[in-house]
Amino acid sequence: MLQKIEETQKQFAQDVLAVTDQKSLEELRLKYMGKKGLVTMLMPLLKDVPNDQKREMGMKINAVKNEIESTLANLATELEQQKMNAEIANTEKIDITLPVDNGVGSLHPRTVIQKEVEDVLISMGFVVDMGNEVETEFNNFDAVNVPSTHPARDTQDTFWLSNGEVLKTHTSAGQNRILSKYKGTCKVIFPGRCFRNEALDAGHENTFFQMEGVIVDKNVSVANLIYFMKEMLSKVFKKEVEVRLRPGFFPFTEPSFEMDVKCPFCGGTGCSTCGGSGWIELCPCGMIHPNVLKMAGIDSNEYSGCAFGLGFDRLVMIKSGLNDIRALNSGNLKILKPFKLNI
Amino acid sequence: MKISINWIKDFVDLSGIETEELIKRFNLATAEIEDVFYMGENTKNVVLARILEVNDHPQSDHLHILKVDDGSPESVQVVCGAPNVRVGMVTAFAQVGGMVSGHKIGKAKLVGVESYGMCCSESELEIGSDNSGIMDIVTDAKMGTPLHEIYPMNDVVFEIDNKSLTNRPDLWGHYGIAREFAAIFGRELKPLAVEDLNQYDSLDKLNIKVESKNCYRYSGITVENVTEKRSPMAMKIRLNYCGMRDINLLADMTNYLMLELGQPMHAFDHNIVKGITVIEPEKEVDMLTLEGEVHKIAPGSMVICDEDRTPVAIAGIKGGLKSGITDDTNSLLLESAVFDAVAIRKTVHKIGLATDASIRYEKSLDPETTPVAIARLVKILKEIDNGVKVSSALTDVYNFHYPKHEIKISYEFLNRRSGVELPQSKVDSILTALGFEIVTDGKELTVSVPSWRGTKDVSIKEDLVEEVLRMYGYDNIVPQSMSFNLMPVEQSKEHILEYKVKRLFAEKYGVSEVHSHIWNYADFNKSNGIEAESYVSLLDTSNSGQAGIRSKLVPTLLRFVNDNKNNFDDVRMCEIGRVVSGLNENNLAIENHILAIVLASTKKSEKDLYFELKAMLENVCESLVNTKVNYCDGDTSNYYHPVNSNVIKLSDGTVIGEMGVAHPQIKLNITPKHNLVCLELDFEKLCNAEVVKSQRNKVSKYQTVALDFTFVVPNNVNYATLEEIIASYKTKLTMEYSLKDIYENKEQMEDAKAYTFNFVIGAMDRTLEAKDIEKFSNNLIEHFKSNGINLKG
Repeated sequence: MLQKIEETQKQFAQDVLAVTDQKSLEELRLKYMGKKGLVTMLMPLLKDVPNDQKREMGMKINAVKNEIESTLANLATELEQQKMNAEIANTEKIDITLPVDNGVGSLHPRTVIQKEVEDVLISMGFVVDMGNEVETEFNNFDAVNVPSTHPARDTQDTFWLSNGEVLKTHTSAGQNRILSKYKGTCKVIFPGRCFRNEALDAGHENTFFQMEGVIVDKNVSVANLIYFMKEMLSKVFKKEVEVRLRPGFFPFTEPSFEMDVKCPFCGGTGCSTCGGSGWIELCPCGMIHPNVLKMAGIDSNEYSGCAFGLGFDRLVMIKSGLNDIRALNSGNLKILKPFKLNI
Repeated sequence: MKISINWIKDFVDLSGIETEELIKRFNLATAEIEDVFYMGENTKNVVLARILEVNDHPQSDHLHILKVDDGSPESVQVVCGAPNVRVGMVTAFAQVGGMVSGHKIGKAKLVGVESYGMCCSESELEIGSDNSGIMDIVTDAKMGTPLHEIYPMNDVVFEIDNKSLTNRPDLWGHYGIAREFAAIFGRELKPLAVEDLNQYDSLDKLNIKVESKNCYRYSGITVENVTEKRSPMAMKIRLNYCGMRDINLLADMTNYLMLELGQPMHAFDHNIVKGITVIEPEKEVDMLTLEGEVHKIAPGSMVICDEDRTPVAIAGIKGGLKSGITDDTNSLLLESAVFDAVAIRKTVHKIGLATDASIRYEKSLDPETTPVAIARLVKILKEIDNGVKVSSALTDVYNFHYPKHEIKISYEFLNRRSGVELPQSKVDSILTALGFEIVTDGKELTVSVPSWRGTKDVSIKEDLVEEVLRMYGYDNIVPQSMSFNLMPVEQSKEHILEYKVKRLFAEKYGVSEVHSHIWNYADFNKSNGIEAESYVSLLDTSNSGQAGIRSKLVPTLLRFVNDNKNNFDDVRMCEIGRVVSGLNENNLAIENHILAIVLASTKKSEKDLYFELKAMLENVCESLVNTKVNYCDGDTSNYYHPVNSNVIKLSDGTVIGEMGVAHPQIKLNITPKHNLVCLELDFEKLCNAEVVKSQRNKVSKYQTVALDFTFVVPNNVNYATLEEIIASYKTKLTMEYSLKDIYENKEQMEDAKAYTFNFVIGAMDRTLEAKDIEKFSNNLIEHFKSNGINLKG
């Protein structure tokens, strides 16, 4: 019996050397551990062993069985490892630097700018109000103190419609409606599309986006306007900006100003964006004309206000480097799509 | 408009102030300076020289070989082509090494003869318009004296942006600009030297009749015995530096006065024009102007006629040729008038002729200036030509007076509106310097507006705030924060959603947002068979090229598909824009806020694209608006597929839009290789739709059972009908159900498909028993059967 056990042990030691892969390992396992396997078949032999040796022989058989099992298990792990290593060694390297389509479309660059500017103003407590694109002559002109003889009313400048209305020429067309709604203290911005009957070129569009804002309260002053514009534009350009006021003329404000920003790109030394002047003319603004307040039913002795405009198209062009304004209304995806969600 | 600093200095002493400082302060206080020209700097070493010898050039029929004395020890040889050379003449001579209007002068050989320098004409030196020959200078100065010591050639000229002077009629001449400089720098404005015209009151008046109410004032005088024909060089230089050509003394004088006072003037030949009648012609008249062009003047425009009502000028715009000044004119009738700004502007547009005069009249000039301009002209003319005689009394028809403005304003108001504590003395001195007359009681000012600011610019106290602050310096205002109140701010739902929807489409569906014009692209629509109605149209289409305002948004996007089809396999676009869908009872436009989407693809099927479109809309409804929409059969626009298009309705039945596969013919016309689907709906209505929460599935803590049922559904029954059947099945046991599969087999089922539903059933309070399950199944099958749909056998 002992001899049989030792023979089995020896033979296994021999056989194990021939194992090269999982298949031969399985064959080896069946040969020893299978139903008719050499180790399995040792147990029935115990019955012929004398009783006083049965315990010792039983233990020996178990020891051999355990040893073979653990050898087989180790071998299995080892083969697994080898296979894995081989797979890793043969892995194709993924070129992660290849381009992918992330499936993202694009927002119109005006929308991006609009959102940025609106977020700044909303954080300052403004309400956003959306006006119409078709306006009455009254709202577009009379209500904002544009004299009936003003050249802006000519067909050369304004798109007049067959029903006597106009395509609004400026966001100020919304002033009367908004001021009338609040009848006093308010902080409102009203972005919108405006239209001018003019010939197109790289710098001129007949359809463009503006935003206008009004602040009305008791005792709003020019000093307040300067403070507000400076803070607002610093947030828009994401850096502290320097501003200056120059005299301007608009029928709906008095005094009227042109607000220049010290060029945020060159810091005022002069570059292509600011045309070498160091300043960018950006915001027409002023103190709301008492006639405009009056026409909206607001007592101009009690209340005063300031208004400011901001051309989104100009901001888009400044921020994006786009040099032809006509692209904005073109629907040309070759130009618009690369903007993605930012500018 | 160009402004000469030399000219300004006639009226205000600006000594000690750097040019840069002048520009900067003027820019911030008055108007935008666009450009600065340093005149005379690119002309160097041009000196007086006397011609000593004139010899014909042996090889040329027009060149001469001159010997000139330019002050150097030796005479200089120069070849010259001017016809007016003569011995003894003093001319302007550019020496070798010098420069003439930017061109360097070197030694040269002209047709074989050495030439050491260049004799110059006024035109070559850019100081006059005469290019008929070299300058013929009368002077006592030494030869070799630099020309700029003889003539005021060195000057700084500012170009002011005309647009920034629109509301300032007083700034269209040097004297007005000088007043600004005087106020800015606290210097004195010198009074204008003028002829005392009262001395001629005893002379006969002219016959001036004004028949048009649009002629506010017409002042005239006659002058005779004018013998000088040419303007002095200094005057020519100023005219040319300011962008005008010199012509002859009398024409130059009127232009000079216009540039000085902003008052356009006209000189008629008094031998031809004896008196003046200002009329608005009843019939169209032809007017031959000084430029030799004929303009047709329609009724309503103003024409200046002589006594016989023969037209002699287009009022405020241009003089007539026949009555104009020539070199032979020795007596003239001077016009100094003011016309209604709008009337002039209308005539300018009608005849398409704008002039330096009309540009000024359009600004609403001050009628008080007309006699002053005449007095000033006479004064200067007599200085130039002392034989000149005034031959009539000043004749003045003054029909329209602007109201005299008197404004009361308190110092407190000025401080409050500006946000700055302004010293009272500063306020007083600023207003006074600008020509306002003030009376102050220490609290309140009574301000009389000068006539030149009162035609439209200054009439209320806010106007005075501007006057004071711009001179005080906007830069000197310390920015101040505003007080605030703690009211929460509510934003419009629609506005918030607009951005979110666009962002969702771009992020999740790869859509690009576009902006299209508000008008229909009529030619595109027509050639592709797209019907797009317009309820209003543009009156003038010269710049838009289109007339009709759109009532639908999809057609404008279809044009963009067309524009992009060759560059992209997938064109995915959206726009949230405006349309006009009709007119209301007051004839006002009904404007709608529309969302439109087009998806085009060369790879995806129409069905896939259509479902994608639906998914986009459902996503908006569920995640952003919290509502539900239904898709119904109904009439859609002609660019949609007759079968595969739907009307979009809210749960209350309101129609908000339409969607569909593009009509095969329109798809074929636009892009045969792309499949195309479109959607458009009223965004405002969608945003304000009633909240419809999606049903949440019930979850029981007891065991549930999943059951599959397969029904044979005829092809004419849609899924929504099946949903309705299930919804109408009365049971408490359905926890959830879903469509698991649609199976089509034409041999087995003609005109029908097999729909397999998976039902999960259970109870909230117990585990179901076998009989519950059996009852549920039997009843469900029976319910479907009663609706004409059988279980698949």
